[in-house]
Amino acid sequence: MAGEFIFDVAPAIAVLPFVSFLIALAVGKYMPKRGALGGILATAGSLLLSVWLFVTVYGGETHHREIYTWVAGGEASGALELTFGVLIDPLSALMLVIVSLVATLVHVFSLGYMNDEGETGLPRYYAGLGLFTFSMLSFVMADNLLMAFMFFELVGLCSYLLIGFHFRQPGPPSAAKKAFLVTRFGDYFFLIGVVGIFATFGSAAFAGEGSFPIMAEQALSEEAATPVVVQNFLDVVGMEAQTWFSILGVLVLGGVIGKSAQFPLHTWLPDAMEGPTPVSALIHAATMVAAGVYLVARMYGFYALLPTVLAIIALVGGFTALFAATMGVVKRELKQVLAYSTISQYGYMMLALGTGGYVAATFHLMTHAFFKALLFLGAGSVIIAMHHDENMWNMGGLKEEMRVTYITFLAGSLALAGIVPFAGFWSKDEVLYEAFVHGLGTAGTSGTILLLAYAMGLLAVFFTGFYTFRMVFLTFHGEPRSETAKDPESVGWNVKGPLVVLGSLATVAGFVNMVPVKKLLGPDIDFLHKFLDPEEGFAADLSAHHYEELIHDFGGYTADAAALGSESVTVLVSAGLSLGLALAGAGLAYALYGYDPTPERHTDKLGSIKSLLFNNYYQDEYQVWLATSVTLPLAKAADTFDQSVVDGVVDGISGVSLFSSSKVRRIQTGVVSNYATLLTLGLVLLILVFGVTGGWFA
Amino acid sequence: MAVPVEYYLLLSAALFSIGVFGILTRDNALIFLMSVELILNAANVNFIAFSKFHGNLTGQVFSLFTMALAAAEVAVGIGIVLVLYRNFDDVSVTEATTMRW
Repeated sequence: MAGEFIFDVAPAIAVLPFVSFLIALAVGKYMPKRGALGGILATAGSLLLSVWLFVTVYGGETHHREIYTWVAGGEASGALELTFGVLIDPLSALMLVIVSLVATLVHVFSLGYMNDEGETGLPRYYAGLGLFTFSMLSFVMADNLLMAFMFFELVGLCSYLLIGFHFRQPGPPSAAKKAFLVTRFGDYFFLIGVVGIFATFGSAAFAGEGSFPIMAEQALSEEAATPVVVQNFLDVVGMEAQTWFSILGVLVLGGVIGKSAQFPLHTWLPDAMEGPTPVSALIHAATMVAAGVYLVARMYGFYALLPTVLAIIALVGGFTALFAATMGVVKRELKQVLAYSTISQYGYMMLALGTGGYVAATFHLMTHAFFKALLFLGAGSVIIAMHHDENMWNMGGLKEEMRVTYITFLAGSLALAGIVPFAGFWSKDEVLYEAFVHGLGTAGTSGTILLLAYAMGLLAVFFTGFYTFRMVFLTFHGEPRSETAKDPESVGWNVKGPLVVLGSLATVAGFVNMVPVKKLLGPDIDFLHKFLDPEEGFAADLSAHHYEELIHDFGGYTADAAALGSESVTVLVSAGLSLGLALAGAGLAYALYGYDPTPERHTDKLGSIKSLLFNNYYQDEYQVWLATSVTLPLAKAADTFDQSVVDGVVDGISGVSLFSSSKVRRIQTGVVSNYATLLTLGLVLLILVFGVTGGWFA
Repeated sequence: MAVPVEYYLLLSAALFSIGVFGILTRDNALIFLMSVELILNAANVNFIAFSKFHGNLTGQVFSLFTMALAAAEVAVGIGIVLVLYRNFDDVSVTEATTMRW
């Protein structure tokens, strides 16, 4: 087969950045660009291989191979077998291209943002980027949950290292610690979930015979017999399969909520802006945050069976989308706005997954990766120009001096706000459309929940449009509000190049999946839908139509496309609503911030709401309060218990034996005569005892 | 006229008691060695008496081994006594208590 070779070298996609990590670490400081060139070559190599792989997979081939068994099980013992493997299906192939593309552009951009700005510690920086890319690519390729978990953790570690890159300043180390701890809190549940899945199914494979989503499907289905392993475990637990699987699903979801910065574990992400801007682009567009959503999509065959968990995902996603969007409305710093928009956009992806829009979520994941990377790199360009001043009140009027940055940034903003025909419009519209039709078609409580989540997502569109264009107008339009903004520093090709690539993608990437156009006019142009719907081999169980069946049979979701008369009307209403709200938001932003030389007063008009939003609904405060007033006293009580009771018992036992032995050892006088006496007396006593019991004296 | 076996046993018991008495009451290491010899010989007397009584030579052969063993034991014992004298300027067993707790 034509695809054999590329499938054989697929692991190299991940290994190349790892090599660049090793090179940057070992000899980076002797190299001309301090490791940057190695990183660019490695990620560009990964990109080439990924694209080749993508083309092969587009041709209908898929691949699943176990590479290395690090704990051998054995049939007879029935013990677990732990392996590393590669799973290449349309989803992972698409994600590999996204990750390696963004990583390559971030490396190039770093030349301008880090090298040209004369930063120190660059080998460490490029080593971090290499390891980060390696972890994420391996995570994407993982064929089982445990391997995914390991690289999930490695991604978290790398983000910690990179967010805290400027470790001599006070902010970054603390932000890095926060990111690490908050995501670790979620990963704790994830780990328990992994153990639970191993215990229940005896396997954590994502695909193929005996993989856990398929076993779960058999266990829940009425036709197929429940696998013996699962039945045995359920008997031990004493729960219904549906209940127990939902618990497992929610546990794994804990890790997703932490990594993808969903409410209430989103607090680490805005602080993570302390890291260098290219790192923010990498974290937010393609790696760290995307990992959570990707994991849900990866094991969607499992989640599709569990309506309760889907409802939780939809609600969390919808709520996060709205909640984060409102906070983005008042922020002062460019990167802070982008941070909240990231949280909000990942909320949309969760909303899509929770409402049965598997393809919509993947689509939004893809377009978001492009336009969010673009916006962050654009922000990085602005930050270079403003001499590292991120305060938007000091900007304004930059569009004349920075044409390339302005145009590409505008493309990204239009995509983020969801204005037709930019990429974000198509994907966000599909997310909302899926939520809408599933919410209308599904009866009972879950239908209401879906509609509620949809309403929150729809409302968030307005805020998205508003904060996006507030950011654009404050940064680029109007009159310069500071000396630096009058005479910005110019940026080089290594900044403009990635911006142009991503700007083009943010403009056109939506055309791969124009579902509304297909539904209204009829041309068969929903390429992503077809791509994510393989029909052959193991990948048929990972396909969009299979998920749609599962979600209908087990989740009770029904899509009612003709709820408002006919399908065309529904499509038009849904798209019109989201586009209208986005335009309304953008228009309001123009009215308030478009030309006003003193824009600050418009934000101040919000009064107490502004301080509420500016302080992020006091989320940090209440989490710190939780830590200091609840967890700390508990920990202190536990410490006291440990010090007094547990240590007391242990010390008491050793004290008693120490004391008694100090007395008993006096028997050992060291005088041979005493020993002989004791020996003789003992013998006499023994004989007497034998005599009495043996009846000699009777 | 053979001597009855009871007399031998009484002799042996007396020898054994004298040996034990010596070990318990004296503190001279050389007297210890002699007392141990007495105890061993009490055992030898028993062996030979029963050997004759049962008409079986095993006991006599065994006592030969005991004698060889006693010789070896004395050789080691004398060595210990010499070291004892060198370290403590005395052969009293009550002096050598430095290796206790």
